[in-house]
Amino acid sequence: MSSRDAILARLRDNRPDPAAHPLPPVARLGNMDAGRARFEKSLALLGGQVLEPQAGESLSAAIARRFADAKIICSAVPDFEGTVRIEELGTPQKAAEVDVLVVRAPFGIAEMGSIFLSEAQLPTLNSAAHLTQHIVVILSEATLTANMHTAYIERPEFHTARYGVLMSGPSATADIQGVLVRGAQGVRTLSVWWEP
Amino acid sequence: MPSHIVVPAVHKLTPDVAKLFAEHYHTDPNDDDPQSLAWSQRLAARPVILAADAGMTGGNFVVAETGSFVVCTNEGNADLSATVPGLHIATLGIERLVPRMADLGVFVRMLSRSALGSPITQYTTHFRGPQDGGEMHVVLVDNGRSHRLGMEDFWTSLKCIRCGACMNTCPVYRRSGGLSYGAVYSGPIGAIIDPTFNERKYSTLPFASTMNGSCTNVCPVRINIHDQLYKWRRVLAEHHELPFVKREVMNMAGRLMGQPKLYRAAISGTETALGVLPRFALYNWLNPWGKNRELPHPVKQTFHSWYKQNRLKTKKKGEDA
Ligand code: SF4
Repeated sequence: MSSRDAILARLRDNRPDPAAHPLPPVARLGNMDAGRARFEKSLALLGGQVLEPQAGESLSAAIARRFADAKIICSAVPDFEGTVRIEELGTPQKAAEVDVLVVRAPFGIAEMGSIFLSEAQLPTLNSAAHLTQHIVVILSEATLTANMHTAYIERPEFHTARYGVLMSGPSATADIQGVLVRGAQGVRTLSVWWEP
Repeated sequence: MPSHIVVPAVHKLTPDVAKLFAEHYHTDPNDDDPQSLAWSQRLAARPVILAADAGMTGGNFVVAETGSFVVCTNEGNADLSATVPGLHIATLGIERLVPRMADLGVFVRMLSRSALGSPITQYTTHFRGPQDGGEMHVVLVDNGRSHRLGMEDFWTSLKCIRCGACMNTCPVYRRSGGLSYGAVYSGPIGAIIDPTFNERKYSTLPFASTMNGSCTNVCPVRINIHDQLYKWRRVLAEHHELPFVKREVMNMAGRLMGQPKLYRAAISGTETALGVLPRFALYNWLNPWGKNRELPHPVKQTFHSWYKQNRLKTKKKGEDA
């Protein structure tokens, strides 16, 4: 008997009576506010920022202002130029040279200030979302979902994406004496640009 | 050995980390600012990640419906390990299985707020297959879990989502620190699952409890931890000679008290974490124990360091005069 079969057999023998533990109905709990204000409040709590256009400036102008020292700006969206396209990077490691990645999220979660990205938004290079120094996420208010329950119940991406990450602000750590540091191993900042 | 399941190096103070980094990363040993230490760590880790042929992660949840697993982290190290090298290997405890994708909402919402008081981890990543041009392998880890499932009094400990809330609230853990348990899983949850790995080795752990039930009150998945602690005492008494248990009971405390340096590190580590962990994490509706009681205040200075600073000096001055 392989160890796999042995484990499965033991699980079958030992499991509590399934009749005593019926599957509960799917929970759809909590606040159902899917508004932009709630999203922005949660985003700020987790260290994310909103990139606000000044006097009607374009996304590229806002990026040039906010990331004045950035040399390599990588675009993963058709409607933004950047200095390099994500498809041109070639290898996952190459993304380490990128200063700013511009990407479009299919949806956000108001409760958590989270944005979702998968291989569909990062064509072939999932690493780009983490090796880049800063990430700018284009998000449409209309795609906001209220909370974790509505997200998992309603969004098809959780069933179709092979790699799907909910990013809630930039990377962070509290491993050194419990002090919160934003910008750990992954992106140092995460900014949301609202789709006009 | 980690001293905490969520913050594994919580017993290390910034000067300890500065010393360690100076040794291995050649940073300034006197720079103990967490911000710059974290930056040095980032700079040191990047080349390792970029050169790696494989990346390993764990997994917090596994979804039966889709065959997905979910990894919750803050640093981003798991996502880097999974997406930069071409090969991703994940080890998953078999008890972390939830039936449907729609059930995940409950668990993801509970995890980080019980662990650190934050609404969600910075990264919540769902893996359902390898990325383009890569490989993904999953190792399902039993390590006694299927056996524990058959233990009538103890199987519910398999519900644990490893949030660490029971450790943060436990008066024994907070005083003695995670290292004193001598096991990977410390705190109340460690005390009820460690004996399933090795009854004799961890026979003392269920006795190191005041039975205050604080752990049970904060546990987001409602494991009856303090009941299980009590039941383990009976099991252990039946399985072993009682004198053996009695003889060993003080071992844990003894190990710690016998090493003043370790004890002081444990105390100051625990006090610092207490000062930092948000009140919200320690006092919330999940913790009725904290409603009418105040957890011990993190003291600014331990008696030992106060004595060293004040009395020793005065004594010296007195001798001079
Ligand atoms: S036993 Fe409960 S409180 Fe303790 S780590 Fe597990 S889930 Fe959290």
